[in-house]
Amino acid sequence: MTDIATRPTDAVSPPPRGRRRPRLDGGGPRAGTIVAFLTPFFLPFVLFYLVPVGYALWQSFRVVRRSGGQYGTSYTTFGGFEQYVEVFQNDEFWASIGRIGLFGIVQVPVMLFTALVMALLLDTHLLKLKGFFRTAAFMPYAVPGVIAAIMWSYLYSPQLSPVVDLLNGIGLKPDFLGPGAVLWSAANVSTWLWTGYNMLIMFSALQSIPQELYEAARIDGASNWAIAWRIKVPIIAPSIVMTTVFSIIGTLQLYSEPAVLRQISSNISSTFTPNMLAYTVAVGNNYQQAAAISVVIAVITFVLSFGFMRLTSKRAGL
Amino acid sequence: MSNTVTRIRLAVVAAAAGVLVLAGCSSSDSSDKSSGASCEPSKGKVTLQYWNTVNGMDKVVDLWNKDHPDIQVESKNISNDQYGAIGNALKAGKAPDLAQVGYDQLPTLRSQDAFVDASACKTAAGTESKFVPWTWSQAGFGGEGVYALPQDTGPMAMYVRTDIFKKYDVPIPKTWDEYTTAAEKLHKANPKLTMTFFDPNNAEWFNGLLWQNNANMYSYSDDKWHVTVESDKSKQVAEYWQKLIDDKLVRTDLANGSTQMFAAYQNDQMATQLGAAWGYTGIRDNLPGQAGKWSIVPMPTWGADGNSGDWGGSTVAFMKGGKHLYEAAEFNTWLNTDPEALALANEVGGLYPASTDGLKLPALTKGVPYYNNEKIFDVFAESSKKIDTDFSWGPTQKTVNLALQDAMAKAVAGDGKLTGALAAAQASALKSMDDLAIPATAGK
Amino acid sequence: MSRTAVMALMLVLAIYFMLPLYFLIVAATKPQGDLASTSGLTFSNFQLFDNLHTLFTFNDGIFARWILNTVVYAVLGAAVGTLISALCGYALAKFRFRGREFLFSVILGGVLVPSTALALPLFLLFSEVGLVNTYFAVFLPSIVSPFGVYLARIFANAAVPQELIESARLDGAGEFRTFFSVSFKLMSPALVTIFLFQFVGIWNNFFLPMVMLQKEELFPITLGLFTWNGQTARTPLLQESVIMGSLVSIVPVIILFIVLQRFWRTGLAAGSLK
Repeated sequence: MTDIATRPTDAVSPPPRGRRRPRLDGGGPRAGTIVAFLTPFFLPFVLFYLVPVGYALWQSFRVVRRSGGQYGTSYTTFGGFEQYVEVFQNDEFWASIGRIGLFGIVQVPVMLFTALVMALLLDTHLLKLKGFFRTAAFMPYAVPGVIAAIMWSYLYSPQLSPVVDLLNGIGLKPDFLGPGAVLWSAANVSTWLWTGYNMLIMFSALQSIPQELYEAARIDGASNWAIAWRIKVPIIAPSIVMTTVFSIIGTLQLYSEPAVLRQISSNISSTFTPNMLAYTVAVGNNYQQAAAISVVIAVITFVLSFGFMRLTSKRAGL
Repeated sequence: MSNTVTRIRLAVVAAAAGVLVLAGCSSSDSSDKSSGASCEPSKGKVTLQYWNTVNGMDKVVDLWNKDHPDIQVESKNISNDQYGAIGNALKAGKAPDLAQVGYDQLPTLRSQDAFVDASACKTAAGTESKFVPWTWSQAGFGGEGVYALPQDTGPMAMYVRTDIFKKYDVPIPKTWDEYTTAAEKLHKANPKLTMTFFDPNNAEWFNGLLWQNNANMYSYSDDKWHVTVESDKSKQVAEYWQKLIDDKLVRTDLANGSTQMFAAYQNDQMATQLGAAWGYTGIRDNLPGQAGKWSIVPMPTWGADGNSGDWGGSTVAFMKGGKHLYEAAEFNTWLNTDPEALALANEVGGLYPASTDGLKLPALTKGVPYYNNEKIFDVFAESSKKIDTDFSWGPTQKTVNLALQDAMAKAVAGDGKLTGALAAAQASALKSMDDLAIPATAGK
Repeated sequence: MSRTAVMALMLVLAIYFMLPLYFLIVAATKPQGDLASTSGLTFSNFQLFDNLHTLFTFNDGIFARWILNTVVYAVLGAAVGTLISALCGYALAKFRFRGREFLFSVILGGVLVPSTALALPLFLLFSEVGLVNTYFAVFLPSIVSPFGVYLARIFANAAVPQELIESARLDGAGEFRTFFSVSFKLMSPALVTIFLFQFVGIWNNFFLPMVMLQKEELFPITLGLFTWNGQTARTPLLQESVIMGSLVSIVPVIILFIVLQRFWRTGLAAGSLK
C-alpha cells in the first residue's frame, strides 16, 4: 500500500488544534488517513486470506523426505508438481469430484429453479399470504449447515423419522441413507437450506423492477406467464448468475452436511467430497498433499465461477 | 471428523484406564541401549504434564502428587481429540512429558519423531518382565528402546447368549467352522435371528480379527517396510466374513456400540458378540434385563488350538520435548505398577491391565454377578496369553484404517468384496507411506 | 396457472421448509424414550423444561459456554468485521487514490476464495505460531469478509452523497470524524445488512473451528452439537440434548432474522446489482 498517493497536502501553517485546516479546493484526505481507513481490513485480509493462500501454494510444491532408518527424521523439500501429480492420479480425488459434480448438476438447477418459481409467484397478484411464504422459505437460512443436517438426519433415520413412518404406511420402504440415496439426502439438506436465500435475492431484484416496464406488455395482452419469462427473468438475469456462482462455490466446498450424515451412515466415506478428502489426507499427516488438494479445489472453483460468469455475460450481452 | 474418528475416540476412552499390580519397582538391570536419552534427576521441584483420555485419572494423579511434593503431575483429559491434540502440540513444540497413545498409533507418532527413548531410566526399563509380552514388544518397537509403558489391553473373547443356544439346541462354537455352522442353524431355526453383526466402519475390530489369524501386516527389513495388509492370512479372514455376509448370517446395518445394536440384542435378534475385555460393562449396563443370559467364552479359533486377538488398549508414552525424563519415568512406572495406583485406577476406570500381575487384582479374580457369577476375567487372561507377539502396526495406520473402512462399507453395500477392501487398504498403506517418504514395498 | 394451483404449490413448499423445524420443536418437548416410540409429528409427554435443564447441566453446563463462545465468534466477530469492512469500503468508495481499483479487484477475488480452502493452510500457519486451539484461531480469520467490503463500497456510494463529505471537509472535520458522525449514520441500515451477512458466514462456518479447536471449552455451538451427535450412538441420552440444543440455538437467530427481514432484502438487492 505504499503506492497510495494523494494530492500533496499543504503544510504551510500548522492546522488548528484538533482540526485540519479547511481546504477550499475540497481535496481528498492525506495518504496517512487513507491508510488508516484501509489497514484495519487489509492487515487481517493479508494475514488470514492472502498469506494462507500463498502458504498453501508453497506447501503444495513441497514433499516430505526422510533420513535414516525405519522411523527416520522427516523434513520437507521442494518437489515441483509432485503433489499435484499425486492428486491427479488419486482415484479417490476424481471420485469425490465426480460425486460433487453430479450433486451440483442436479442440486443447483433444482434449487435455483424452485427459488425462481417462488420468487416469480411472490411477485404476482396470484398469491395471498406472501409474507408468510417468504418467511417460511427464508427461515432455514438462519440454521447453520451442521444443525440442518442433524435435523434432517433425524428425518432420515429409520428409527425416528415420521417421514419414513409415513412412507412405510403407504407401502414404500425408503432408505435415505442407502448407498444410492445418501448423496441426494445430502443434496436435499443443501436445497432446504439455500432455496429461500436464493429466492429472496431474486425476489429483491424483481421488486426493484419498475412496474411500468410490464404495463405495456400487459396492455398488449401478454399473459402473466409471458411477462414472467420474457421480461422479468431476463431483467433479473444478473441475480440468477450471482446465485449460480455462489451455489457453485458452495457445492465445491461441501463438508458439513455429508460429515453429519456420515455419523449415521456408513455409505458416506471419509473421502466423499473433495473437502472431506483434503481433511482425511491432512489427518494422515500429509499436509503438503492436503494443501495441493485445497489449491486444486480453489482453482476449480475459480475457473467454474468465472467461466460461468463469462459465459452468461457473453450470451446475455450483459 | 467423522463417525469413525468419533468411534475411535470412544473406543480409546473405553479402552483407557489401565491397572497394573507390581510389588515395588524392580531394580533389575536392563541392557544399556546407546540410543536412549540420558536420565538424570532434575534439581528442585518439577512439574510434569500428563495427557490422557481416562476419566478420573486426575484422582490417581492426586494420589501421586500427595506423596511426591518435588515431582508434581498435571493431568489433562484430551479424550475429545486425542491424536489431534498430540499432533498439534508436537508441531508447536509443546508436547507434554507423557501422553496416552494407543498401540496402533505408536508407529505413526514415532515416524513423526514424537517419542524419546527412556532406556537409560532403569526404573522404567526394568519393568519388561512385568507386562504381557506383546504389549512390551509393541511399546518398545520390538526391543529397540523404551518409548512407552503398556497401560491396558483389549484381549478378545466371545460374548454368548447361552439361553438362545440352549433354546435351539445348538452347541456353542469353538472354531470358526463351528461358528458358521451354528450361525446357519440358528438362522434356519429363527429367520429373525442372526449370529452377530459386522460393522464395516470398525477397522480396529477387524484388525483384532486379523491379529488373531497371525495376519501380520508390517515388517521391516533391508531398509524397507514390507506391507502385507493383503496376505493369505488376512484374505482367509475376509473371505470368511464375506461368506457370512453373503449368506445373510450376520447383520451389516449396525454400528458397534450404537443404540440400534443394543436394541437388536435386547430383542433377541443376535446371539453373540466378538468383543474385548473392556466391553463387559457395555453389555451389562445396556442390557440389564438379560442378566444371567450372557456368558463369556474364548473366541472361535482358526483350527483346534489357535490364537486369540486383541482390540484396543493403550500405552503411556515418553514424549519428545519433555525436560524431565527421569521424573517422567518414575511417575510412569508408578502409574502402571504401583498397587495403590492400580487399585484406584481400577476403581475409576475398571478396565483391563497390560501387566501380568495386574490380572491378579481382587476385582479381576472375582465372579461377575451379571455373567452368572462366572469368572469372566479368567477367559480374558487366557486370551491374553494367546495373542501373537510379532504383530505390529504401520506408520500410517490411521489412513489405512480409514481406507479399509471405506472399502468395507462399499463391500457390505454390495460394491466389491471384503478381500477387495484388503487390497484397497494395502494400496492405501503403500501410497500413504510413499507420500511421507517412508520406504515401503509390497511384501509377499 | 390458477390461483388455487399456485396456492397449493406454495403451501407444499412451505410445509417442506417448515417440517424439520416443526419436528424439532415437537421432539424437543419429548422425553428421550418417546423419540423412537411415538410419532415424530405429534406431541407426547411434555418435558420441555426437563430437557432444557438436562441440556444446560450436562457436562458441567458446557452448552452455556458454547453459546457464549458463539456470541464471541459470530456476534463480536461480525461487529468487528462490519466496522473494518465499512471503513475499507467507505475509503474505496469515497477517496480517490492510486491503486484503488487494484485493491478492490483483489478484494473481489477474495470473495471467490472458498473459506474452507483457507482453513487447512491457516491451521498449519497457526500451529507454527501456537495459535491453534485458542479463541483467536477462530476469531481472527472470521473478522475478514471481502464480501462485506464489496457491500460497504456499494452502500457508501449509494447512501453517502459526496457533497456531504465535501462540506464536512470544508467545516474542517477530519475524515474519521466525518465518517463516524455523518457517514456512519447514513450507512447504518447497510451496516446492519453487512453485519447480518457476516454473522451468518461465521455462524455457518463449521470447518474452521473443527480444524482449529480441540478444547471443548472453546467450541462454538455447531461444533459442540456435532460432537455430541457423534456420541449419541454410545450415549443415547445425548440425543435429546442435541435436539434441544439445536432448537435453543436456532430460535433466537430465526426470530432475529424475521425481525430484520427488510435489511436482508436491501442487502440482497444491492448484492445482486453488480
